[in-house]
Amino acid sequence: MKITFPHMGNLFIPLKVLFDILEIDYAVPSLSRCKFEEGIAHSPEFACLPFKITLGDLLDGIEQGADHILYGGGCGQCRFGYYADLHEAILKSAGYDVTMIRLDSSNMTFQELMGKLKPFTEGKSKARLVRGILSAVNTVLMADRLSKTAAWIRCREQQKGDTDKVMRRFNQRIIKAKGYKEIKQLIHSARKQLRSIPVDLEFKPLKVAIVGEIYTSIDPFVNMEMESKLGSLGVEVHNHLTISSWVIDHGIKKVLPLKLKNKAHERGKELFDTDDIGGHGLQTVGNAILSAQKGFDGVIHTYPFTCLPEIVAQCSFGEIQDQYGIPIMTLIIDELTGKAGYETRIEAFVDMLERRRQLELQKTMREAF
Amino acid sequence: MTKIGLPKALFYYQHSAVWEGFFRNLGCEVIVSGDTNKEILDRGVRCCSNDTCLPVKVFHGHVDILKGNVDYVFIPRYTCLINREYTCPKFCGLPEMTYLNLDKQVRLLEISLNVETGHMEAAKGLKTVSKSLDLDYRAAEEAFQNALRELEQGYKKCENSFGEPVAKERDRKRQTLAVLGHPYMIYDKYLSMKLLEKLRSRNISIVTPADLEYQTKRRHAVPYQEKVFWEVGLDNLGSAFVFAGSENIDGIIYLTPFACGVDSFVIEFIERRLKSDYTVPFLKLTVDEHTGEAGFDTRLEAFLDMIG
Ligand code: SF4
Ligand code: SF4
Repeated sequence: MKITFPHMGNLFIPLKVLFDILEIDYAVPSLSRCKFEEGIAHSPEFACLPFKITLGDLLDGIEQGADHILYGGGCGQCRFGYYADLHEAILKSAGYDVTMIRLDSSNMTFQELMGKLKPFTEGKSKARLVRGILSAVNTVLMADRLSKTAAWIRCREQQKGDTDKVMRRFNQRIIKAKGYKEIKQLIHSARKQLRSIPVDLEFKPLKVAIVGEIYTSIDPFVNMEMESKLGSLGVEVHNHLTISSWVIDHGIKKVLPLKLKNKAHERGKELFDTDDIGGHGLQTVGNAILSAQKGFDGVIHTYPFTCLPEIVAQCSFGEIQDQYGIPIMTLIIDELTGKAGYETRIEAFVDMLERRRQLELQKTMREAF
Repeated sequence: MTKIGLPKALFYYQHSAVWEGFFRNLGCEVIVSGDTNKEILDRGVRCCSNDTCLPVKVFHGHVDILKGNVDYVFIPRYTCLINREYTCPKFCGLPEMTYLNLDKQVRLLEISLNVETGHMEAAKGLKTVSKSLDLDYRAAEEAFQNALRELEQGYKKCENSFGEPVAKERDRKRQTLAVLGHPYMIYDKYLSMKLLEKLRSRNISIVTPADLEYQTKRRHAVPYQEKVFWEVGLDNLGSAFVFAGSENIDGIIYLTPFACGVDSFVIEFIERRLKSDYTVPFLKLTVDEHTGEAGFDTRLEAFLDMIG
């Protein structure tokens, strides 16, 4: 038995830890998405981009010998909830014989969850299981912290490209690494290397928040390395959606009998008088408002072409820009998005933010003297 | 008399009677926007982002046309009308979406419908309704309960009582085609490019999901029987396989708007299963704001010729 799973940002790192501890054989789809084209060819034309890319991931994993597919999920009221079934149907008619293991945290009790995981946990001690889960959770936190550190350093580095070099090397190694110890070690050493990059502490970077659909916001392949691009332009990037917050929202909060609220989601209700507009739509709205209040210079909103909840969320941005005075740019991504035009738009947006900041500064100076 | 505008789009095609009744009961005059036309479409396109689905764009156009002639435009917020069956996410945010896209230049009334919370969220909208219409809250509440009952009954009975099995006897002289799609696509003459009329004029008889019993459709909605799915998805999915399994259906046409997230999945499920388990001819017709009628007709005719 060999297991594979669709990528979602750096989720593969904690999953590796978990599988290694439980001694489960697995295949990690390549980060360069070598089956990207095939995934698209097998998908319906108007499926959202994450569907097509994750299908490519699965094909990649299957080619590496996987016969089981692990699906995490439950993302409010949206197409995401139906990915697994359609992926299964497509894989089947393409002649692949795989077993799907679906973990839908929004519709499952803890018992059901453990039932689904039985083939993997059978014969393994409880202690090992607990150790696996705790180590995986700890890894998520470490991996997200590493990304945050990278974002902080990248915009301040003296030698452009230093941060990306470290992170690229890290990604190459981590995908091959085995076991909690080695993975932890790699994260630590990457952190150390990041910290030794010479930075300009005087530099005052523009601060930009990325909000939107989770997949496009956090996956560097999907968003064409938006974070590095912004960082290289001297922008400090804050990504409000992270794997750790996703795991907390969709895993931990659902399993624990607590009714914790997501702050951004609640804030989004300021403009939408309802509990849910599907997916992470309300969080997008809330995060845009919160970013304005936290004094960010701008917001970049990103989502896959035809994404239902984000189209609804986007309607509120004119209002947010007016009310809170923060510029928001929307970048819609699909498989045909050209990198050149995309980067030009990012550059133009950053230029505009910079000019805006200068004007503000001049105004403050004039008023002060 | 307070004038309430009902946009002739989206929910209108299934629930117009319920909401017209609701407002008339409350002593209002109900004004329905006219049939969709080019101007309405253009207005809608202008206020929506490009990748918004066609029916929602058109909905905006209807509201835009209505807003000057009425006191309020009514937009219900459908979240869930039947347990474990959800509407498209766009329906949950529709009131605000329209309001914001029209630059807040429209006065709206809104009522939330979510059966899973016992329609608790409706109270807020009803309060606004009763205040705006200068009515007692209890009157609004009562009219609402009536409306709910009607909505519920609407699901239980099937309107054309075509029933199961599809058509008792085969009419040898006439072909029968099944037309699938959102009600606001197939029954909107402009968006459907008069598909139903065109078929009828060729003496073809037509069946749609509205001709099947609710339970029949749910039972056949592979792979989502008993499972959580989109409401309209279940209708089309189930109908497709009921029709495909009937000897009396000569072909199935699925009319889908550009950029519909729900259809993109539903049609894929249907097409795959039709290919592997059935022989019935299937045609998917996609309509967007640039679709020319000529091209549409050519595709339709080619299909009709094929099934002979
Ligand atoms: S949130 Fe957007 S990208 Fe995710 S499933 Fe829904 S439509 Fe697709
Ligand atoms: S179901 Fe499709 S056509 Fe209807 S509102 Fe949703 S995306 Fe648009």
